[in-house]
Formats: sequence, structure tokens, C-alpha cells
Amino acid sequence: MARTGGLRGFPLRSLTYGALLAAAFVALFLLAGLLGPVAIAPLTVFHILGYEVTGGAFGGSPCGSSVDPARCATLVLIVWESIVPEILLAFLAGALLGVSGGLLQGVFRNPLADPYLLGISTGAAIGASILFVFGVGLAQANLTLPLLAFVGALLTGLVILLAARSARSSIETLLLTGVALNAFLSGGLVFTLLYNPIGNLQLNFWLLGGVFGATWSQVGLLFGGLLVVGALVVLHGRALNLLQLGGDVAQSLGLDSRRVVMRSILLASVATALAVAFTGVIGFVGLIAPHIARRLFGYDYRRVLPISALVGAILLGGAFDLSFAILPSTELPIGVPMAFLGGPFFVYVLYRYRQGSGPGAGA
Amino acid sequence: MIRRAVRLELDRVSASYDARPALHRVSFHADPGEVVALTGPNGSGKTTLLRATLGLLPLQGGRISIGDRSTDRLTIRERARWFGWMPQSEPIRENIRVRQYVLYGRNPWIGAWESEGEEDHRAVDRALAAVDLSVAPERGILELSGGERQRALMARVLASEAPFLLLDEPTAHLDIGHQIDLLERVRSLCHREQMVALVALHDLNLAARFADRIVTLHRGRLVADGPVESILSPELLREVWGIVAELKRDPASGLPYLLPTLPGPVTRSTGSSFEGVVHVVGGGGAARGILQRLHEEGFLLSLGAVHLFDSDSELARDLGIPAVVETPFAPLSDAIRQRHRELIQSARAVLVAPFAVGPGNLANLQDLVDTLGARPVALYEPAGLPSRDFTGGRAECLLQELRRRGAVALTTLDEVVRWVDRVVSAPGSGPPSAASAPAGGP
Repeated sequence: MARTGGLRGFPLRSLTYGALLAAAFVALFLLAGLLGPVAIAPLTVFHILGYEVTGGAFGGSPCGSSVDPARCATLVLIVWESIVPEILLAFLAGALLGVSGGLLQGVFRNPLADPYLLGISTGAAIGASILFVFGVGLAQANLTLPLLAFVGALLTGLVILLAARSARSSIETLLLTGVALNAFLSGGLVFTLLYNPIGNLQLNFWLLGGVFGATWSQVGLLFGGLLVVGALVVLHGRALNLLQLGGDVAQSLGLDSRRVVMRSILLASVATALAVAFTGVIGFVGLIAPHIARRLFGYDYRRVLPISALVGAILLGGAFDLSFAILPSTELPIGVPMAFLGGPFFVYVLYRYRQGSGPGAGA
Repeated sequence: MIRRAVRLELDRVSASYDARPALHRVSFHADPGEVVALTGPNGSGKTTLLRATLGLLPLQGGRISIGDRSTDRLTIRERARWFGWMPQSEPIRENIRVRQYVLYGRNPWIGAWESEGEEDHRAVDRALAAVDLSVAPERGILELSGGERQRALMARVLASEAPFLLLDEPTAHLDIGHQIDLLERVRSLCHREQMVALVALHDLNLAARFADRIVTLHRGRLVADGPVESILSPELLREVWGIVAELKRDPASGLPYLLPTLPGPVTRSTGSSFEGVVHVVGGGGAARGILQRLHEEGFLLSLGAVHLFDSDSELARDLGIPAVVETPFAPLSDAIRQRHRELIQSARAVLVAPFAVGPGNLANLQDLVDTLGARPVALYEPAGLPSRDFTGGRAECLLQELRRRGAVALTTLDEVVRWVDRVVSAPGSGPPSAASAPAGGP
């Protein structure tokens, strides 16, 4: 048996896109410095990044020779302790949401499925609202907030899983179950908001989604989470391809369809929970990223899933930069520019590819 | 471990959707190299049979075996290596390349950690060549014509190189040229490679032309199994499809074709002899246990002759069992007795419940003795039965006559089920046309 492990060679087109993606990441870093509260020249940002990443191995000033050394210490602090962890957190959360959306769209065979629409994000928010509203574990908020959000998202995912378990439910029923669940949970969220107005402000802010005040330890945690999720997701590509032919056909081709559906929903819940726990509720990333991924690289889920992660990262990174551009002096939650950007873009995608073979055609 | 030239055997397979029974004790087999057409009207259970064979629908009874091993122990992946399924329709939304689509058929051979290799690509090439699609592997699947797409689907099924093909209306979306082309390919492939094809077909002309054997399902039961000529008899066509038609042969080519001689559907007789009905003689609640149990087991029953409001009569009505019913307290009239005799004649076997015989229903036994013929008969007589003869010995005399003619005595309901199962599925007990045909192998 001459079967190769791992990915086969990417064609040239993929390489080109890969280079573009890499350039986009770098550009987003530099742009963040430029647009941030203290406008920092891209070259300086570049210098600081190089200095910090290499641990100052090449000596000299961290900011390069053109910057006043007295000012440099502040700039390093802004870039390395504020902007970089924040944008990295945005990248990581975007990647997790993108992957989650890709998984859900693959499993539900519906381009409208995403963690926000299905209520998984709202479930996480409900979990977090327990902390804000009832003041549970407020002292160790950094630890308990992610944990509670995680539990909320996972519980929602489990409800969808239970619906999937009952033999009768079709994919469409499952999707609508998620939508109904989301509506129900949103109602619950409003209720908790009214219950204790004091916790409201914090909760509201968190609900809108933001990466401000991100720490390196949060980045590390999320990165670890992404690695684990990513490793499991890579194994699902071929299964999701088969699942597009319908659960029965996939099973006749040797795939345990039910198990794949279960595992994918669970994995998407974990990915969403991780992202929401650290950044709050951010919509649209999970919806749009897989669309763009399919647009760029075709329908093979072995590629759609990792590319969704990359696209999601760039989208949320872009939203981060945009939040500076819109209101440089205020900490605008990135959920806001993401919604501004995502809403119209999604409508555009839907209508642009409505007729013909576009990814929105199945909607 | 997957080898060709293996027999596929279904043994008393029952399955149901939710509570609605869909297959009743269907038994048949297919030998290597055989193309077996599954025929029957809409809703007769063709698709259900294929899905049950695939393991998409759990069996409620019976067993399916490949060679000498049962399929219920196979994993999903192993099943996929044995069976290639062509569903009636398959939603394709994404314009993937034909080659990629056909490659999906190789999935049962590719592990979770592997990618497809040379061997898989060679299998895809062979499959594409087998359906004559070698020129189009890089085209998008949605750009193909209907006929080409059906062939691509066929190629995907063939790519797995499974020895058993389960094809569900493979010609449904094809014009007549492509219908013949596709079935001819299936046929020559099976004959050449010693594969087995079970093909659900609506079109009896296509079935007659391409199948080596025809299996007919009717309301979830197997009603005929054998070579084309002996199976598609006028009786079967009338009973199952409700048409008056005759199978003829074109004198020039020798090809069989079906000639319907009446336009509209004709009325079918109730309790068709093709379905192996067991007639129960009962009354006064004596047949309650028999009716309930045999109905649960999925046998077709009839009941006679009983009085209206009699508890057996009520039960038969609730279970949908056809019964001959007389007005309360009246002796059995000639018309009722005539209908009772007809029911006995259309039954495959007769079971006598331990009912109390009085002057009012003695005629039941008399009619049974008169019209029984060579049908198997059994007397259900549980232990501790009180005397049932209220006719001064005349009933006992008739019962003795039945015993003399080979009536079996059964004392438990389990024995009843075993006996009925044996006589209903016994070879040679089918309708005259099917019985005279060789059953297509040992």
C-alpha cells in the first residue's frame, strides 16, 4: 500500500495565497502600532518585535537608533505588553472561531451554521453572566470567567449533541434546534442583565467582545488550546468531505457518520468556548471565515478547516486594527467593528454568489 | 479478506421504520456473478431491503450473511468494503471534480491518518473507465449532464471494488439509451468479475431484460423469486401490480418484454395466495392468543367464520385481519360458508383454534374438512383444555378426520409460531407459478 501520510503538495496558487496571508499578518501587526493610542512608526514596531523575539541578542536599542531612548521604554511597554498580546489574542480567538464555524458548516451542511447562530457563544455568555451578576468567584475573575464561559458553551453544545443523538432528528432539525436554543439563551441573558444592574457594565463590555488588557499568559493558554483543537480538527477534514454526500451515503462509504457529527459539534463547542472565554462574544467570524476559505481554496474540507482558522485570525486582527481607526482614544470592543464589517460583507457574499456555483449557492 | 465469488444470503430478514413494519421475513440469496432485480410496486420494501442489507436500518429479525459469516459483526468500515451502494438520489451541492468525487469511494480503504495513494488512484481510473467517463475526471461534477452524473455516481460505487453492488433505481434519471447502457455495464461486470448486483427496478421490462433472476416484494414480503419467465406470470402481475399483462418474447431478438393488455388497474383479490396467508378457524376468544402472536410475528392471517361482536371477531377487526363474519346468534348461512371456503382455499395453511363447537358453528369444521385439500393443517390444543364438543360427538368426529389427514397437534404458542414459520416458508408451498420454478439454486 503506497499511501502517503499528511498533506499532498500544494499547487502554486496555494503558495501564492500562503505568502499573501503571511504578509497580511505582518501588516496587521504594523498597522496596529500605527493606529494605536500612541502612533508608533512601523519601522519602530518592527524593531521592537525583533528585539523582543530574539531577546535582545543583537544588542542596541530596542526601538532602533532613530528613537529617543527615554521614550523607547514606554514604546516597548505599549507594543510588547499591550498591543502584541492583544492582537495575538485576537488572532487566536479568530482562528478558533473560524475553525469552529468551518466544522459546524461542514457538519450541518449549511453555510449559515456558526457558533454564534447556534447559541454556543450565547451559552458561554450565560456562563460568564453568573460571575458578573451573582458575583461568584469575582476575586479570581481571570480564572473563573473563562471557566464559567467554557462550561456554558459546553453545556449548550451538549444540548445540541443530545438533539443529534435522538435518532429522528435530521440535520435541518438540528440546525433549527440550535437557532431556537440561541433565542432561548438570549432571553435568559437579558434576564440576568436585569437581575443585577451593578454587574451590568462589566458584563456588557465583555458581551461586546474585546481583547483589551490581554496578557501573555492568556495568549499562551489560548495558543495551547488552538494547538490541541487544531490537531484534532485536521483529522476531520476527509470525514467532513464525505459527510457532504449525506449521512447515509457517508456511512455506506465506511464512515461512522453519527460519531463524526458528535465529535465535530463537541470540538466546535470547545473551540468556541476557548475563544469566548478570553474575548467575550464575537459574532460573524465563524460565519464568514469558512466562506472566504472555500472561495479561495475550494471545497475540500482538509483545506477549508485550516484556512478558515487563518482567515478568522486575519479577520479578527483586522477588526482589532479597525477599532483603533474608528475611535483611537477609546477602547472600542472588537466585536463592534467585526459586526460593522461582517454584516454587510456577509450580505454581499450571499447575493454575489447566489446564482451559480458560489459557496453561498446552497444557502 | 474481501474475496469475490461469495454468496449473499438473506434469511428471514425483518425490519421496520419506527413501529411501522417494512420487511417481513424476507429470505433469498444471490450467487456470485448474478444480477438480481428487486421488483415490486411503490412502497413494497425494495429500498428498505437495500438499506437493511447495508446496515443503515437495524434488523428486527433474521440474518444476512456473506458466505458463512453474518454481517451483524462487521464494522461500518468492513461493510463498506463488501457493499457498494448507489442511492436513489444524492444531493451534490458543491462543484467538486469528478476525480475527487469518485475518490470518495475509496474511503473504506484509507485509514484516518492516511491520504489516498497510488493504489487508490488506479482504482479510480479503472472505475472511470468502466463507466466510460475517463475523459472527464477534471470536470466539475455539477457541469456533467444527468446521464454523466449518474455514471460518475456508478464509478464512485465501483471505486470501492466491493463485491456486492446494491443499486437503488440506478436508471431513474436516465433516458432509455443510458438506461440500457448502464444496466448492460452492470451485467457484464457482474458476470465477468463474479460480483453480485441487487438492483431495485421499477421498470419490469428492464428487469426482464437484464436480470438473471427476479425477486418480487409485495407489502414488505417476498412473493416470488426465480428466473424471469417463470416469475413474471400473469397471476403475479395481477396480484402484485394490479395489471393484466403477459410476458412475451420478441421473435427476432429473443428479448423478453411485457405487454399490458388492459389499460387501467384491475381489482385485486383479498388475501392474495402469493403472500402465504395462514387461515385461522376460531371463535369465542379461543383464537385470541394465536392471532395476537402471529400478527406480532408479521404473518399474514385470515379468520373465519365468526359472529359479529364475538371477541375473536373484534380482535381481527382491530388488527386488520380479514375475517368472515356472520350476524350474531344466527347459524352460519350458505353465503358466509361459501366465503369461508374461499378463504381456506386461498390460504397456504390452516390453524384450528381450540374453540368450543356447537350446532351454530359446526359448519366451520365441516367446510374445513371439505375444502382443505393438501394444505397443511394444525390443531392448537393447549394442555388442560376442557371438553369443546357440544355437538354430541360430531365435532370430535370431524377433528379425528383432520388428524387422520395429517393434522399436527400443537400445545404451545411457540410451537404454533415454529409450525407456521415452517409451512409458510417451505419450498413448493408458494403460488403455482413460483412453485414450479427452480428456486434459483439449492
